[in-house]
Amino acid sequence: MSQSGSQTIEQATTAIQVDAQPDNKTRRYDRQLRLWAASGQAALESSRILVISATATSTSILKNLVLPGIGHFTILDPKNVSAADAGNNFFLNGYSSIGKSRAEEAVPLLKELNDSVDGEAVVKRVEDLLKTDDGKQWIKNFTLVIAHNLPNGPLETLSDLLWEELEDPPLMIVRSAGFLADFYIQFREQCIIESHTETAPSIRLTKPFPALQEWADNLDYSKVDPTEHAHIPFAIILIKEADQWRAEHNGALPNTYEEKAQFKKRIRERVVKIDEENFEEAETQAVRLWSEKGVPSDIEELFSLEPLTSSSSKQTLNPEFHALLKTLHAFVNSPEGPGNLPMSSTLPDMKTDTESYVKLQRMYKAQSAIEATQFKELLASKYPQLTIDEDMVDSFIKHAHQIKVLRGKKYGALEADKDAISAALQAWPSDTATTHFALNALSILLEKNSDPTTITAETLKSEVENFVGQGVDIPEDLDNAVGELARSPTADLPNTAAFLGGMIAQEAIKMITKQYVPVNGWCVVDLIESKTGIVNN
Amino acid sequence: MTTVNDDATSSDWDGRYYHVDQVLNTPGPRTEDSFQAGDAVKDFLRNQCKILVIGAGGLGCEILANLALTGFKDIHVIDMDTIDISNLNRQFLFRPKDVGNPKALVAAEFIMQRVPGVKVTPYFGKIQDKDEDYYLQFNIIVCGLDSVEARRWINATLVNMVDEENPESLKPLIDGGTEGFKGQARVILPTISSCYECSLDMLNKPTAFPICTIANTPRLPEHCIEWASVLEWPRVHGEKKLDTDDPEHIGWLYNTALTRAKEFKIEGVTWSLTQGVVKNIIPAIASTNAIIAASCCNEAFKIATSSAAFLNNYFMLIGTEGVYSYTFEHEKRKECPVCGGESLDITISKEWTVERLIEMLVEKQDIQIKKPSLSSGIKQIYFQAPPQLEQATRPNLEKKVSELVEDGGEVTVTSSTLPFNLSLRIKYT
Ligand SMILES: [Zn+2]
Repeated sequence: MSQSGSQTIEQATTAIQVDAQPDNKTRRYDRQLRLWAASGQAALESSRILVISATATSTSILKNLVLPGIGHFTILDPKNVSAADAGNNFFLNGYSSIGKSRAEEAVPLLKELNDSVDGEAVVKRVEDLLKTDDGKQWIKNFTLVIAHNLPNGPLETLSDLLWEELEDPPLMIVRSAGFLADFYIQFREQCIIESHTETAPSIRLTKPFPALQEWADNLDYSKVDPTEHAHIPFAIILIKEADQWRAEHNGALPNTYEEKAQFKKRIRERVVKIDEENFEEAETQAVRLWSEKGVPSDIEELFSLEPLTSSSSKQTLNPEFHALLKTLHAFVNSPEGPGNLPMSSTLPDMKTDTESYVKLQRMYKAQSAIEATQFKELLASKYPQLTIDEDMVDSFIKHAHQIKVLRGKKYGALEADKDAISAALQAWPSDTATTHFALNALSILLEKNSDPTTITAETLKSEVENFVGQGVDIPEDLDNAVGELARSPTADLPNTAAFLGGMIAQEAIKMITKQYVPVNGWCVVDLIESKTGIVNN
Repeated sequence: MTTVNDDATSSDWDGRYYHVDQVLNTPGPRTEDSFQAGDAVKDFLRNQCKILVIGAGGLGCEILANLALTGFKDIHVIDMDTIDISNLNRQFLFRPKDVGNPKALVAAEFIMQRVPGVKVTPYFGKIQDKDEDYYLQFNIIVCGLDSVEARRWINATLVNMVDEENPESLKPLIDGGTEGFKGQARVILPTISSCYECSLDMLNKPTAFPICTIANTPRLPEHCIEWASVLEWPRVHGEKKLDTDDPEHIGWLYNTALTRAKEFKIEGVTWSLTQGVVKNIIPAIASTNAIIAASCCNEAFKIATSSAAFLNNYFMLIGTEGVYSYTFEHEKRKECPVCGGESLDITISKEWTVERLIEMLVEKQDIQIKKPSLSSGIKQIYFQAPPQLEQATRPNLEKKVSELVEDGGEVTVTSSTLPFNLSLRIKYT
């Protein structure tokens, strides 16, 4: 750096401007904004969560939702605090809470975790609410409903209610006893733009846009000086080498292992002096040439997905997302388009000088702006009557390579399907499904007779055999699960509660922010083996 | 300070441990025979067991609450930090009024107030302040730290403490860590199972930008920020130390980086990025901490009570795409400098200088020793301190290793930050 250059910087910074410093709210949420950004935070802040029961597990879940800043929560619980509750629930005032309303005692202790979150206690039975139209509508107005250890009867009614309309809120079902637990998210469709998967977007090495191609074409290795030579960005090197290779191989890129090795060798041979890191980088990045696809196969699959449509109202679910998806399909097929997903404006770092990198970055940005405009024109012509938030469109274009769509099933879908049960029991590791079915049996038995002393390993086992049906082999692991549940049929252990509190909150955050990918299927937790597993639907 | 609530009407009321007692009264199908169901195990857990929690931050707050609820009543906690506003999105024992106060003290107070009959003894300071006698008094140690250095220290200290004649000297160490939606919990039985040092190579490599990029060819906003903090700060401020918690300092770095970025037409320098780069901020959320802390405490509970087998020995969680976890036995490394006993073979060129070897030791993923000092037998090769010795051995930096150490010779590496020696066997190509 020259002396004068540094002087300017010093002068410019003598008067320190701290006005760029974030406000208190941004500082408070800094560590999570780095994960889901302002858009995710806004979604959280406008959410309203209903939690049924104020058990240790329920308050643990809520703690992890109040801290990051959901908008509002409601605890629905008709019970009073028992001696046992006062012992295992951190969000009660110990002994002095005994005998008072569990929901009313818990709400203030949860609210004090975050001033910007509102919460209320509703001392009612969910069974009663489910009997009236007002009660039903009240439940449907939440963003998300979470139920812990709700008996099977009301749980099924609740699940039916929240499966009536396409836009009904997701229902998270959580069950636990002792060291074992499982949970399930009942939802129709989750459309994710920012899935945060680690797949890198294409940088168009196989199909360069005109400006990029021109740069590669105009580059003559023999005419650049040694400093410049060591600063040619790897993208340009690869485009140039790929062109030459294709010219010699009837338009094909390296395909076999030998061809790829030979291609890399060519790059190595371009090096004129040692330590040309840009060529080293080109060699390691050559894999982009043969892995880069115009349209990744998982995105291609989404093109054939039809939106969910209500049979009664003819309304579709997530119409904006599906309009964008259809537009993406049209964009990819459009003769005027690049034949690729629209360009994401993010460029990886490359070993080159500032000038070349900035030039390259501007080219990519310019191209990405052109394609974004094409995309938006296509969207407007296909859906003239639809107004979609500009930020959503831009985000969709930017993240087109990582969009995901999950389709869920109703609670009980697995149990209603004999083939699915049998497949789950044959899957590896076998104790995932046996634990899940043992928890089913526990919930059925406790509903018939709430006295936990009636629960034995034998009664649980025969209940499992009962609904699994004849002719299906049940793995021996079932003995471990039923034995463990018989040992602690009604135990809401503080550690299990805390573990589930984290897991359920994490999945709830994914559902609400529509970022990252939630679980689809039953997630089974075994804290004896310290492991989790999934039973697919 | 509030004292422990010993009120007979509120401590251990009837039915207080209804939930936990279900697994303490009866063994499960997989419980080992050594389990003493009933009063014996409850007495040990509630009246005898002494447990240490290292760290009262994101994991520590959760760990303290879980231990207190499961029935541990003699809990100690060490933390050297004070509360910052950015802790409040997850460290749920702290409120805005507590900002600036020591974490250990506030957390201990809160737990004792909320969970009657539990005694939490805080220590506001460094783990290195305490000696073996201190660590020997505990039955179990649970560690929720974000510093690799501190974890290596406690791990090595506990391994060194093991005396084969005295089984009581072996303290199970349970270690948790999180990053965003990911985390891990593990059980370390010092000298018996794989230790923290054994798995050092599993850590993500911190992003380091080459000095020449920062100085000459910046391309990313991060390069401009590094330039401001690594090169410009010492040049302009001389001896004055950069305090990354001081908003004025961050402000200066931000403005300096921004000016440089403008000069080079680089976009993207923001306050948040500046802070992230200079403080090496790792995203952290309540939910992941809850999962990992619960897992750690669940292992502590199982070890203390034998009510179920404990984790052998590593639980890894990735929550970004669905819920993916992997439970496995991490193997001991026989050349682990802490618990392995064998020297690490290093093959280098005969032309390598001592300085080049030191650079490699700093960078190598399974070693990562900052400021190593080197000796071979009684021969001092290079010492970082004291200053006289540093000066006396400095000329060796330029010399070739092969002039100082014979082929197959041993080199001992030490560092003031780590309580162990690493022994290398040098071979030449
Ligand atoms: Zn080791």
